[in-house]
Amino acid sequence: MFKETRYSLLVLFAVCLSGLAFPAQALDDPTLRTEITKLDNGLTVLLLEDHATPVVAFQMWVGAGSRDEHRYTGIAHLFEHMMFKGSKHIGPEEHARLIEAYGGRVNAYTSRDRTVYHEDIPAEALPLVIALEAERVAHLDINQATLDSEREVVLEERRMRTEDNPQGLALEALLATRFVAHPYRWPVIGWRSDVEQVTLEACQEFFAHYYAPNNLVLVVVGDFASEEVLADIRREFGKLKPSAEVPRNPTVEPEQNGERRTQVYFDLESPIFAAAWHAPAAGHPDSITLDVIGELLSAGRSSRLYRRLVYEEEQALSASGGYWEMKDDGLFYAFAGVRPDGSVVRVEELFFDEVRKLREEAISQAELEKSKRQIEVRLVMGQEMNHALAARIGSDFTTLGRIRPLEEQLAILEAVSAEDVQRVAQKYLIEKHRSVVRVIPRPNPGALAPVDEAKGGEAR
Amino acid sequence: MKMTNFRMLFVLCLLVPGWLACLSMRPDFDLVGEIPDRPIVDEERLQRFELSNGLNVLLLEDHRFPKISMGVSTRRGGATEALSEAGVSSLMTEVMERGAGKRDALALAEAVDGLGASLGVMPGWDSITVYISGLSRDESELLAILRDVVRAPRFEEDEIERARREQLAVIGRSKDDPASLVRQHFTETMFPGHRYGVPMIGSADSVPTLDQQKLRACYDRVFNARSAILFVSGDFDAAQLRQDLEAAFGDWREGQVAPAVEAPPAIFPEAQHIVVVDRPELVQSRIMLGHEGMSRSNDLRVVNGIMNGILGGNGFSSRLMRKIRSDEGLTYGVYSGVAMRRQPGAFQVSTFTRVPETRRVVDLILEEIRGMQDSPPDEEMVGKAKSYDIGRFSLGLETTGAVLSSLVDLEIHDLPENSLDTYRQRVRVLSAADVAEEARRFLHPDRMGIVVVGPASELVPQLESLGSVEVITP
Repeated sequence: MFKETRYSLLVLFAVCLSGLAFPAQALDDPTLRTEITKLDNGLTVLLLEDHATPVVAFQMWVGAGSRDEHRYTGIAHLFEHMMFKGSKHIGPEEHARLIEAYGGRVNAYTSRDRTVYHEDIPAEALPLVIALEAERVAHLDINQATLDSEREVVLEERRMRTEDNPQGLALEALLATRFVAHPYRWPVIGWRSDVEQVTLEACQEFFAHYYAPNNLVLVVVGDFASEEVLADIRREFGKLKPSAEVPRNPTVEPEQNGERRTQVYFDLESPIFAAAWHAPAAGHPDSITLDVIGELLSAGRSSRLYRRLVYEEEQALSASGGYWEMKDDGLFYAFAGVRPDGSVVRVEELFFDEVRKLREEAISQAELEKSKRQIEVRLVMGQEMNHALAARIGSDFTTLGRIRPLEEQLAILEAVSAEDVQRVAQKYLIEKHRSVVRVIPRPNPGALAPVDEAKGGEAR
Repeated sequence: MKMTNFRMLFVLCLLVPGWLACLSMRPDFDLVGEIPDRPIVDEERLQRFELSNGLNVLLLEDHRFPKISMGVSTRRGGATEALSEAGVSSLMTEVMERGAGKRDALALAEAVDGLGASLGVMPGWDSITVYISGLSRDESELLAILRDVVRAPRFEEDEIERARREQLAVIGRSKDDPASLVRQHFTETMFPGHRYGVPMIGSADSVPTLDQQKLRACYDRVFNARSAILFVSGDFDAAQLRQDLEAAFGDWREGQVAPAVEAPPAIFPEAQHIVVVDRPELVQSRIMLGHEGMSRSNDLRVVNGIMNGILGGNGFSSRLMRKIRSDEGLTYGVYSGVAMRRQPGAFQVSTFTRVPETRRVVDLILEEIRGMQDSPPDEEMVGKAKSYDIGRFSLGLETTGAVLSSLVDLEIHDLPENSLDTYRQRVRVLSAADVAEEARRFLHPDRMGIVVVGPASELVPQLESLGSVEVITP
């Protein structure tokens, strides 16, 4: 609610990796013990009982993201904020305060595909969290005053993340360039004018369509007794009525036939270079190979981009590329922070040269093994906290309709070959499917001559 | 059982429709049973011992996952740098990752990445940490890399020059980020002439003067067996590891702990002191204000933590968030707290708002700080803040690595090693009177340093009636 709208490329990259592979040695895969229950009203409940620590992660995954918006962009995210503004028996922000009274962490995020409400709590507080979560879904009570006040909060969030932030500006421009038709083209936080005008009726309509049990998945991981928790959930959520219709936007992004470019001027020292290529939607067989490519480009000081752009050429302060999977579509991104004394033009050349190499030269077996190993290890390291386990379970289930066993993911990862890497690079990382964004200093205000694009870039 | 009460209320409402009051009556959300104090550290899994050269070792076993993390933390950090050499710890740690033992920068990177491991050398004010983590089956390779990076960094001239250029570029870029700009100028305002007043990374003046000799001197000052703590958590055989650690670190030079940093000069503002950092294009102003804080080892830090939690540290439960975000919609986040270091860091409140509302937000913050003194929290509010604090403390120690790094932190600050186990009791004994007294003693709303980043032409007219305004161009 106040931390994430999860449109950070890096965060997304980490999220998509976390579901991908596991180490070569035998590893206990706790998610195999997940119990899946579907209530009569369509609510899905995923329970993973684990008594190792006295902590519980509770997450409510709502099948509604910015891709489901019409008329007002940003309403999914603004609505996420409104879910904290009170219900029949609870005043504004009381939901958060009641949980915080036990030290619980409570927050939410909205992405292009979903909205997730999450709580990490001492085990004893689980009955409270279940009752509170059901209370706001059953009895949300928002009004014009709370909407107007929260709208201002969201506009502050937008100023902070995007309007005064070069990385945020680059990301917003990148998606708006990569997509011309699909709702993925607008920012999760919404365009300013839409956020300013969202009505209470539109919020209520959004709630009625998407916050129904048949569009919700509850994930609970940690120290509890499954039967008791399921009984609590049945009692609290079982009376909710399913919604007759969960509307989805029908638009399919048409194929791109030529490079697109966007330039943004901003008061800055260090320009931003970003690019995106078309890539498949989540669950595609090429997904894992795109992750391997992201890894060999970006992971660690031996990665290709760090070595070339940051270390050898000293043009960038950071450089990464990776696969960003979404439900309806996907992209492969490039992102680099140019040094104050570097050139955004040179950074672009170097980046695209590394991408060219992927298409034209087969990678060595050693480099392939290294990248696979990095993906494997990251997964093992990330399994300790219940929050991360719940996130993996929720993400898999809501995106693919099932929880992928680690063994299966390992087998798929192991099967990726050097030929696959080259084939996938040749298929997706091509010029006509490329969108390029630069955020660069505003040209000298005294200059009346039209701005030459390359020169404008070279100034920094 | 508590649920029954909740449902009873509803039933009662249905049976007595004339009793309108109950329609707005809140159901009983008191559903949480007593949360017992579980032991933080499982003594069965923890070992503390010294190697033959006096190096302190902490081991914490956890065999649930096939992973291992190990590291070395020093008892002194960036705060011990001379002001003229500000940034030397940052540069040193960067170069430590660029070649050690027989491996140059690329070979070291390949060795780490080839294991899928993560290596980090991180500078802090009170400690520098070298840290590596990976799969437990790679334990001996990970330990060999840790040993090399800690004991045999190469500090090659060429790498120092590259890293220095990069560090200067990072300093140059910090102007693009309003959050770092406000932090930087706030600490400069709080600690003029003191090492705390310049960011850890140093300044455009100090960094160009850093060379190999200064890096080596910095290394020699903080890296030795007496000054360091070695720690390992995860999946390992303790008896075998003990031998391996002795072989890797037992013959490291003993050395000594360097003197701690001098106390900061007490030159905090005597009246409101306002600094505006001019960024004409910004639509949002970044605000930080505060005054002197307290040290990490101060006995009052526990009651101060509860007081600060109520003021601005406890998310939606804190007064600042309730007023400025929830009620007024003026910001997305507002926080207060104390930077806890060996020597007193600053008490600070930070937030951001649309430029035209800057003065109003500053006034509201000052009003809430005064409110902690004029209308201090009652027992119920203090009770909730204590419960928040105790619960969050336990949640923060969910992982084995978090427990171990908290134990190392106690060592670094010379705090009793049972501090984690006694913490919750030290919170419980606090009363509303204690919190009120701490608010009166600690908070000085009439003599604060106030730093705002944004368009000076709009900010100065708003702020000048509050006190003297200094304008800085970044």
